[in-house]
Amino acid sequence: MYRYDEFDHAFVAERVAQFRDQVERRLSGELAEDAFKPLRLMNGVYLQLHAYMLRIAIPYGTLNSKQMRMLAHVARTYDRGYGHFTTRQNLQFNWPKLSDMPAVLHDLSTVEMHAIQTSGNCIRNVTADHFAGAAADEVADPRPYAEILRQWSSVHPEFSLLPRKFKIAVTGAERDRAAIQVHDIGLHLKKNDKGEIGFAVYVGGGQGRTPMIAKLIRDFLPEEDLLSYTTAVMRVYNLHGRRDNKYKARIKILVHETGAEELARQVEVEFAQLKDSELKLPDADVQAITRYFALPDMPERPEGWESLARWKKADEDFARWVQQNVQPHKNPDYGMVTISLKPIGGIPGDATDAQMEIVADIAEEFAFDEIRVSHEQNLILPHVALADLESVFRRLQGTGLETANAGLITDIIACPGLDYCALANARSIPLAQEISSRFGSAERQAEIGELKIKISGCINACGHHHVGHIGLLGVEKKGAELYQITLGGSGDEHTSIGEIVGRGFDPDKVTDAIETIVNTYLGLRLDPSEIFLAAYRRVGPQPFKDALYGSAAEAA
Amino acid sequence: MTRIWRETGFVENDPWIVETDDLTAGEDQKALLDLDTLIVRAEESNDVGLGVVLKPADDVSRLEPYLYRLEIVAVSFPAFNDGRGFSQASLLRQRLGYANELRAVGDVLIDQIPLMLRCGFDSFSVTNATALKRLADNRLPGIPHHYQPTARSAEAGQGYSWRRVSPKSA
Amino acid sequence: MVDKVLTANRLTDGISVWLDANGQWSTSLQGALVARHPEAVAALEAIGKRAYAENKVVDVNVIDVQETEGVLWPLRLRERIRAEGPTMEYAPGYPIADPKFIDA
Repeated sequence: MYRYDEFDHAFVAERVAQFRDQVERRLSGELAEDAFKPLRLMNGVYLQLHAYMLRIAIPYGTLNSKQMRMLAHVARTYDRGYGHFTTRQNLQFNWPKLSDMPAVLHDLSTVEMHAIQTSGNCIRNVTADHFAGAAADEVADPRPYAEILRQWSSVHPEFSLLPRKFKIAVTGAERDRAAIQVHDIGLHLKKNDKGEIGFAVYVGGGQGRTPMIAKLIRDFLPEEDLLSYTTAVMRVYNLHGRRDNKYKARIKILVHETGAEELARQVEVEFAQLKDSELKLPDADVQAITRYFALPDMPERPEGWESLARWKKADEDFARWVQQNVQPHKNPDYGMVTISLKPIGGIPGDATDAQMEIVADIAEEFAFDEIRVSHEQNLILPHVALADLESVFRRLQGTGLETANAGLITDIIACPGLDYCALANARSIPLAQEISSRFGSAERQAEIGELKIKISGCINACGHHHVGHIGLLGVEKKGAELYQITLGGSGDEHTSIGEIVGRGFDPDKVTDAIETIVNTYLGLRLDPSEIFLAAYRRVGPQPFKDALYGSAAEAA
Repeated sequence: MTRIWRETGFVENDPWIVETDDLTAGEDQKALLDLDTLIVRAEESNDVGLGVVLKPADDVSRLEPYLYRLEIVAVSFPAFNDGRGFSQASLLRQRLGYANELRAVGDVLIDQIPLMLRCGFDSFSVTNATALKRLADNRLPGIPHHYQPTARSAEAGQGYSWRRVSPKSA
Repeated sequence: MVDKVLTANRLTDGISVWLDANGQWSTSLQGALVARHPEAVAALEAIGKRAYAENKVVDVNVIDVQETEGVLWPLRLRERIRAEGPTMEYAPGYPIADPKFIDA
């Protein structure tokens, strides 16, 4: 993974000092709240229902054990002993004091971490495939480019006061595990016929109030033009994005109102001027950054094959965990391990400081000291020898991290919702807990198969409900919570926005409704290999509407 | 109280004003014209030493034929968080090669001044009390290490091609 | 008129507070100063504005409550959650919100 050099250290130290000065001016009253707010947002500091919230950047979701231990330290020392991993691969602390922030940021800077631009109307954390570098189907590792974009976008003076937030995602395989088509800019790393590296560029995707799928505006952008082209897009957006209405200020609205073709033309005109500027990426720089992301030295571990088979036969729990939570690695002696942060009945994405320490220890001992955060709020150990899987599993057992449910119905994605968030209309977490408990049996989960439930507590869609196979959107109706159900959403390479099935459900009816949907699916699927999403795409919403709202059903 | 600041210090006797219904340019004053008025004036006269004040939605490329006749371009920030002026400034400097005074006017606050400097602004019309005080003390809250080239040139050679460093806070 | 109280978040640590009868910002909703007529509400609003201007608190709001047998109960779910905290066990050692108080 990327390692800071002197320049990076100096920059973060300066940023910490700058923010410390801003906090002091705020606390002394010299700086008023409306002038302070954009500054604190650009340092990841929100004000939520109960307290401030600090969102720490985990660049493209990659971190090492030292960094994870520091997050545990911050949780213990400055917060209430836990943190929440988010759908943009970051970490949130829910109870930090403003007066402690400079100290927290200083501590983080000692392990090459920060909270720069995790909020505000600027370019946010560039996210990437959480299996980057390890996945068997990868064409090229997206992370070097995510790192280049991360650096270039840090305190970019021209793009620090955009009409609205800006989110970029990069993927390097045909399977899109980074949901690039629901991002402001989505980059699909690929090779052309000559074997040259470049990007398909998508613009104007997003969820929230008006979910939209990004438009392809460039089929192949050569690698060396990455920064020039991105600058062109940003400049067009900065100048022409709407500033009259917060809810119409994202680039997706600009694309929609201008037309993708015309917007692409405007970008190309600006790009033509920038193409041969100092923003052109020298190959030497790309190679230098790429070297940081080389695969670790992974010794041959052929004994893993035989051991694995033996262990699986001897222990059903282990077998189930391997089956569900371990994916094939490009090196056949290894696997990509998902550490589920979705214990049955638990809070999705939360980890205690003790759990963070355990993950750090395991990563250091068994996983070449590399950890990832997925946008589905789980942790990943991308490189684990098959021969070490049993040891890893034993270390996870009893810690709340051993749930064998990656991609299953209880692997729920949920935003913090009205239990924490000042923007929310309804709660997400208790609902996730109830659904998880209802479907908690291993047999039921296995029977149902891959089913991604995503829950958002408000229209801002931080739970990514629009791209859930089953999406739940919490709304407020007559002072009470109500949940709208959408079906058939997906953030993969065949991105689709979920369709609303009908009237919303009271909180105490939602889990039953999910059960009805699941039973309907089980009843009409061709065979167990046809997952829910595929079945839905085949049959459409009608069977589910009938089951939910037909004569036998009740709804709000 | 509004003062004009440059990196060399506060400027006294700045002649530029924006004319309103109640205020017209006096003897030692000159009017900053809005874009349309400037273009008309430039087309209908041979005047040089002119000044223009741009609104955030103005297209800077319309100034191209008249740049050499401008002594000053002022760029408005009606709200400090309207970031269009940063792109306007960048384009004026880098695309159009405008080399004379480029002034930020409007809601100019201390925390944005370092960013403005990097986008090519070299003078600032400042009303905010905290900003005035910090500028008087020459205490700008900028970061000298930069991750991107901008309109204002800075030293390269910091490892990767996109990095720059400034000699002092900017 | 619906009864009202004044609430905000403390500047230094962001913790939710309510203005109590002594004019102090308290971390407990119970004990908050209740405004029962428009003049009292106007007074609360003025206090809120001043406290904001004096940089003691942020996000100041007057909220609706109902008083039943001495217990103040916010009419909005959001405010009930603010008063009680998250509605599930979220960290060892921190009390869970009272479900009877939270539910309408």
